[in-house]
This record gives sequence, C-alpha cells and structure tokens, in this order.
Amino acid sequence: MTDRSESFFWNGQRISFEPADTIAAALERAGVTDFGAGQGPCNARYFCGIGACQACVVSVGGTPAEACLTPAQAGQQVRTLKPVRQ
Amino acid sequence: MRSMDVLVIGGGPAGVAAAAEMARSGLKVTLCEQGGALGGAIHRQPGNPARAVPVPRAQSARWHKLSALLAKTDAEVLTFHAFIGLDATGAVLVEDRRQGRLLVLRVRALVLAVGGLERVVPRPGWHLPGVVTVGGLQVMMKVTGRGPAGSVLLAGSGPLLLAVAAQMTALGAPPLAILERSRQVLSPLRAAPLLLWPRYLAEAAGYMRRLMQAGVPWRLGSSVQTIRPTDDGRLETVIVDGAGAVSRIVVDKVALHDGLRSNSDGLPPAAHATDRNPHVVLAGDCREALGGVAAIADGRNAAQQVIARLTGAPPMSSASRRIVDTERRAQQALANIFDFGIPDLLKLPDETILCRCEGRTVGALRQMLATDDQPSPREIKLNGRIGMGSCQGRFCVEWAGAMLAQQTCSAQPAGAEFIGNRWPSRPVAIRSLLGPAVADAISSIPPNESD
Amino acid sequence: MPHEISPVSDRANSVVIVGAGIVGMSAAYFLSQAGWRVTVLDQGAPASGATGAADGAVSVASKKAGPLMTLAVAGAQFYQDLCDAGVLDGEFVRRLTYVVATEPNELPVLDRHATQLREAGVTLRALSKAERDQALGSLAPTTRAAIEVQGDGHAIGYKVVERFRRIGGFAVKRNVAVQGLWRQAGKVAGVETEQGIERADAVLVAAGRGSAAFLDVADVIRPRKGQLIITERGEGIVPRFPGPLMSCRYLISKGSQPGGDAPAGRSFGLVIDPLQTGQFLIGGTREDSADGSQTDIEAVRRLLQEAVELVPALARLRVLRVFAGIRAATRDGLPIVGRLSAHENVWIATGFEGDGICLGPLMGRVSQQLISGAHVNVDISALNPARFRAEAAA
Repeated sequence: MTDRSESFFWNGQRISFEPADTIAAALERAGVTDFGAGQGPCNARYFCGIGACQACVVSVGGTPAEACLTPAQAGQQVRTLKPVRQ
Repeated sequence: MRSMDVLVIGGGPAGVAAAAEMARSGLKVTLCEQGGALGGAIHRQPGNPARAVPVPRAQSARWHKLSALLAKTDAEVLTFHAFIGLDATGAVLVEDRRQGRLLVLRVRALVLAVGGLERVVPRPGWHLPGVVTVGGLQVMMKVTGRGPAGSVLLAGSGPLLLAVAAQMTALGAPPLAILERSRQVLSPLRAAPLLLWPRYLAEAAGYMRRLMQAGVPWRLGSSVQTIRPTDDGRLETVIVDGAGAVSRIVVDKVALHDGLRSNSDGLPPAAHATDRNPHVVLAGDCREALGGVAAIADGRNAAQQVIARLTGAPPMSSASRRIVDTERRAQQALANIFDFGIPDLLKLPDETILCRCEGRTVGALRQMLATDDQPSPREIKLNGRIGMGSCQGRFCVEWAGAMLAQQTCSAQPAGAEFIGNRWPSRPVAIRSLLGPAVADAISSIPPNESD
Repeated sequence: MPHEISPVSDRANSVVIVGAGIVGMSAAYFLSQAGWRVTVLDQGAPASGATGAADGAVSVASKKAGPLMTLAVAGAQFYQDLCDAGVLDGEFVRRLTYVVATEPNELPVLDRHATQLREAGVTLRALSKAERDQALGSLAPTTRAAIEVQGDGHAIGYKVVERFRRIGGFAVKRNVAVQGLWRQAGKVAGVETEQGIERADAVLVAAGRGSAAFLDVADVIRPRKGQLIITERGEGIVPRFPGPLMSCRYLISKGSQPGGDAPAGRSFGLVIDPLQTGQFLIGGTREDSADGSQTDIEAVRRLLQEAVELVPALARLRVLRVFAGIRAATRDGLPIVGRLSAHENVWIATGFEGDGICLGPLMGRVSQQLISGAHVNVDISALNPARFRAEAAA
C-alpha cells in the first residue's frame, strides 16, 4: 500500500518513491523506461544520470526538468514533456 | 548565504578536496553540489544507507577520510545548487534548484570541479529508451541500492564495465555479458606497464573474481553494432564478436561506455583574476579525466593555486602534482589495453542519430561534409544543428568533429570550436533567473495541466 | 523587366567581395549569376559575424518611417520573389508581426507607428481585446493594445547564406583577413590579404564593422551590441502565436520611434519570436559595445522579465543559450550602399545595423546592379556613401 505522502503522479498514474529518490529513480523502480515524447524528435529516457545529457527531461508541475536531478515529491504531477501525439 | 572568498562547484572528490584544503587555510569557502548529497559519480551515497552498493575498501576509505576532512572545516555546503556560468561582469551564477532562484555571486576565486563525461560512440539505436550509459546505470544503482531490473548487456570499453558488472552481480542482478571492444586487455605485453599500479590490478582482480563466480562472460573483441526496439518494448542488439561473427540477442537494457573525457566545453576557461573576474581554476575530471585518485590530488592542486593567489602563501608541496602525473601515466597504460579510439563514423548508416537532442543524423552531416568547400565547426553547428540542443553538444560535438576530421583527413577540432564557452553552461529555468518573488509578482501562471 | 542583368564587358569580369555575411553572399550569388567570376573573402567563416547572431526578422513592422521602411517593404517582397523563383524556397516564410503596448505612454507610439506603416503601404489592423485573445491567447491581461502587421517574414541569416553558398557557383575563402585595397598603375586591382594579393576588376566591401577601414571619413560605423536569448522548445507549455511580438519599447530602442529614457549606452527593446523549431527567441539589447562574446545577467534578467510580463507562460521554460552579436550601425541610422567616390571600381554595402537580414538579399541584388552598371530598381539615394563626406566638409 502506498499513501499520498510517498507517491507522485506519472501521466496521472501513481508512482511510489523512497526518501531521497529522484524522479528518475522512482520511475526506474516502477519499470518506466520510456518517458515519451521529449524536446526533440527522440523520446525522453534516463541516460547519463548526472544532468548532462538532458535526455530525461520531463514536465514537473508544468515545467521541464531533468528527472535524474529532481527529487521526487509527494503529490507532484510529473508528465511526458509533450502532449501525447496520436 | 554569507560572504565568501571562494566558490567551489561540484561535490565530487576534486571539489570536496579543494573545498576542505582551502577552508583549512582560513578562506571562506562555499561548495555547491547539483545533487542532494556529496560524493560525485564515484562516491555517490544511497538515499537509504542500509543499501550501499559494495565498492572496493580502499575507495570507500578515501571518501570517508575526505568527507571527514571537509566536515571539520567551516566550509558551507549547498546541495541542489547547479552552476550556470560566469557572466561578462564577473558574476558567478548558480541556480538554487529547490527554491527556484538564481544566486548572483561575487567571489575572489571560482573552482570548477563538475566532473567528467562518459563517451558513447554513436551507433544505430543508441538513442532509444532502455539504452543508458554504464555510469548512468551505476549512479542509478548507487542511488536506489538496487540492481537494474531485467536483462542487461554492458558494452563498450574500459575498466568501468568490469566495476559496474561486479556491483550489479553483488546486488543480485548480474549482466548477461560484458562486451569489451578491445582484444588486447589480457595481452601480457600491453598490460605489463600496469604492474606499476598494483592498486588497479588488485581492484580488477576483485571484480573479475566476482564475475567469474557468477558466470558473467567478459567477451573481448565484441561490440554492439546496432540496437533496435522490439514490438514488446525490449531491445534487440546486433553483436559482432572478435572473429567477425554476428549474433543477435534481445535484452531489456543496454549500457554503453566508450571511456571518459574531460568536460570543460561550456565552462569558463581557467584564468587569472581581473578587475571584474574571479580567479578561475578547473579541477578533477572536468579538467582532465584521470579518475578518482587523481581528482582528489587535482582538487588539492587547485586549492593550493587559489590559496597562493588569495593569501600570498608560497605554493605548498608538489606531492599532489606528482600524484596527478602518476595517475595520468596509469590512465595512459589503461588506454593502451582498452579501446578508446574513434571508429570510422563515416561508415555508419545514414539514419544513425548523431545528435539526440535535435535528432540530427549521421547522413545529414555526411551530406553537409560532401562538398569541396570544407565547412568550419561553426557552420556545421549552425547549419547542421550539431551542438544546438539542450545538452549543448556534450554528447555529439566530439563525433561531429571526428567525422569532419575523417572526411577531410585533418586534425579533429576541439569541442569548444563548436560550442564555445558561453553561459548558461546548462539549461536554466526562466523562473529561477527572474527569482520566485519576481516570477510570482508578474503573474500567477495559468496552469496548462488538466488536473 | 526590372531584374534584367546587363551584359558584362570582357574587361571587368572578376570581383572580390570582402565579407561572407548575408549582404556579401547575396551579392556574390547575383554577380555570379550575372556572369562574374566571384571570390568571397572572410576573416572567419560564412555568417560568422552579425548574420549568424541575428534574430531572423524580415520585418517592415519595426522600421523607421522613410527610406528604411520603404526599402524594407521591397526587401520582404524580394525574399518572396526569390522563394517563388526557387532560389530561397524553404528559407523564407511570410508571417504576421504584432506590435503591442502595455503602458499608457506606449499607446500614442503605437498609433503613430501604425499610421506611418499604413502610409508606406503596409496592411495592418488594430486588434480588439477579443481578437488579441484569439490570435495571441498567451498574452498577459495587462496588454493594452496591439496591431497585427502583414507582409513581414522570417529568414534565418546563416541559412540564407548557406543556401547562396551551395547554389552560388563562386569561391568562398575562409580565414582570410583583408588588409586593404591593392593598387596597380594607380587603379584598384584587388585586395591585399595576409595570404597575398587577391586580384579582381572590382571590389565590393560588405564587411560589416570591418568596412570602416575602407571609408575615408572616420567614426561613421559604430559597433552596436545586441544580446539575445533562446529558450528550449515550448510545445505543450507555451501557447503558440503566429508571429513575433514586438513591444513599443522595441521601436523606441531601435530608434524607429522617438522617446524613452534609457541611460545612454544601453537600451532594451523586447521582441519575442516564435521560432519554427518551437523555441522562442527573446531579444534584445542595443549597446554601445564592441565585445560580442560577452553577455550579462542584468540584461538577460531584464529581457526575461519584460518577456514574462507580456507572455507569462514563458516563465515555465528554460533558457538554452544566450549570445551577443555586434551590429554595424551608422551615424545617421541608414545603411551605406554605393560606389566609393575615390575609386571607380570599389563599391560598399554595409551599416545595416539590425536590418541586414531584412535587406540583405535586396542589397546583394542592388550591389550586383551597381557593379554591373545595370539599372538599380530601388531608390538608394539616401544610402549614398558620399553623404558623410559632405557632412564632414560642411
């Protein structure tokens, strides 16, 4: 069971996290590898882990941020960067 | 925030060593780390201390000693603070990522110790989700204290592949195999110089023992040529072994690593203080990628430079410099058995992604280069959009430069010829640049999220 | 047929062009088309000066009434002609420009500018609040008035240069610094460079700030630095708008409208340009400085603050790049295009300040017409280089 105090939302889906987890770490635990449409034509994904490659940029509360550097926070709305294309 | 003499950027071994040494000499030091804890990529500590990833005893002892040294000083440590740049007026810009604000700092000296970068030679499919750097995989393990889920292939070249494979194994998640591109790793003639560095040999022997026990194959001369997504969300890799035989294997993750390199593109260059600017020193892997032991010594070197400059104290012992020189020779010996060379990129298929940020392909650059009129790096950047994406060229300009050199049989241009050293050295939130007070006062931004 | 090129005499068939910016490269293309043997020399690489650090606005909307506004109308039309002819297809798009007023004292500026644009034959309309909301949904509610200007366009300077280079049929020599004119038998017969003499029957100087050395009056061309900001892509984060937003302060900063109390040496004029990549360009400053490598947080913050005041959602994006370029401004704010009176075979086309992208191809064509001795089909009398000599003599 997870309660709201230790989970955030990934595209509306609840993702639990542990203390000091980054968003990327929590998504990794949850088995989310493909972060969906990114800033350019390639899909976003975890890659370098140190904030250099910008490949893991997702929308955190409506603002782009590196998933690998951003601490997970309870109740946060985290989404694929671009609206899902049909 | 208090007044300070020196700002150190980066909480890895070089930054911590520099900060501790300068603080001990009486300078007011502030250390900024972009993540939540000190340690850098090599000494990264887990969120849950019970879940520490096993590392060689000597390595953890070095870090304990170093962090204890820093703890005894009055150096200020700011976590979640990322370096943005040095502006024309000499102001050092640092983003406080938790508060969403920019610090504009005037200091007498700036030590940049932001760490090195992993090299990943482009090949078809390297840009896909599920493909990570070996270092990135290691960071994830160190942070979560868990091995990666599913089947993992490590490929490329270098000792990091062994270290990470051993750590995965210790966490109960051994990789399927390590594909080491070099065939020479065990060649006695080439490996002989490494006898001068028994520390490296002992470390490697420990890793190999663990991998052998777990039955993880270390396949020399093998490399991943192509990665393709499968219909069920996995990755099919095309592997060529030392004899040229081709095989295919489907995995959940591919971790790539083709060595480490310095990371000074986009940083202000080392320079003496001027009327406007602080004294700027680069330290550790960002200056020259020589590994953790050298980084500590290089941090001390940087500290001594700054101390001499700011206090007029005579330079101290040259011991640290000697360590850096020794480690450089060790890295050269390692480079001699591993394979950090750049393959013929002109042979890659057209559709291979060269710049992931902007989705620029090898074919597009090849077409640009196919003229009698040799374009400059700047023209390649502007017209080819190489180095214009959000990683600011950190993962593509080396390869674009190599293609230019291979096409024209000329020397490879430095990365800075493409991207220079402008600030921001990384993307920075407009909200932070304005400051939360200003951003809030201007408007309450209408939400664009449906929930 | 206004674009007809007169036949070239055998005697004068080679030309050297100093400067591979948008003006020099356009001229190179048209001269090459007209049968000249063309060599372009640049101390760096194509588009390595102001052309490569420009905002890409092919804008009539921002121009000062008078010759500049008239030429800008012709400049934008010429881009369209070149697109239709397949020369610059894909490198130029027509789009709308919006000039907005947020402060009460900007309203009369906006009115006056709209009147002047109409008098120059530009089609525009004032937008009601409802129309503003519809076209520019992301504007802050504090916006007081806006006009929508037709006939503008967008072209990336370095891409135009690259197109001319690719289709040009002329030589470009990089890293060749020109030291001066080279004379033989009392007549200019080429230029001197560090690498040697480059012979030519005619010389065109299109070297931006570097052109000053070829003028016989000092202090005519002045460096005017501009700082620009590029954001990351805003798709799904910032609602798109169809063309650049220009504040009335931009017109004042540019000198297109009088007013403003900015301290001497540095002024700010906001433009928010939605780029085709989905990124936003936010500009810019006008500073009396020649240091093009340097940008500062004070200028960037101020531009961003004004930008976010106008389009609040921009605060959700990150800045990717900040850069500066140096415009070649002239003492009277008008470009310098024509023959240098001291020589029968040396021409100059420079001093476009921030209007080189808009006017570059047209002035390249004009340069070709001048050098070929053909009819020049636009009025460039106000751009005559001799005007500064007259002024100096007076």
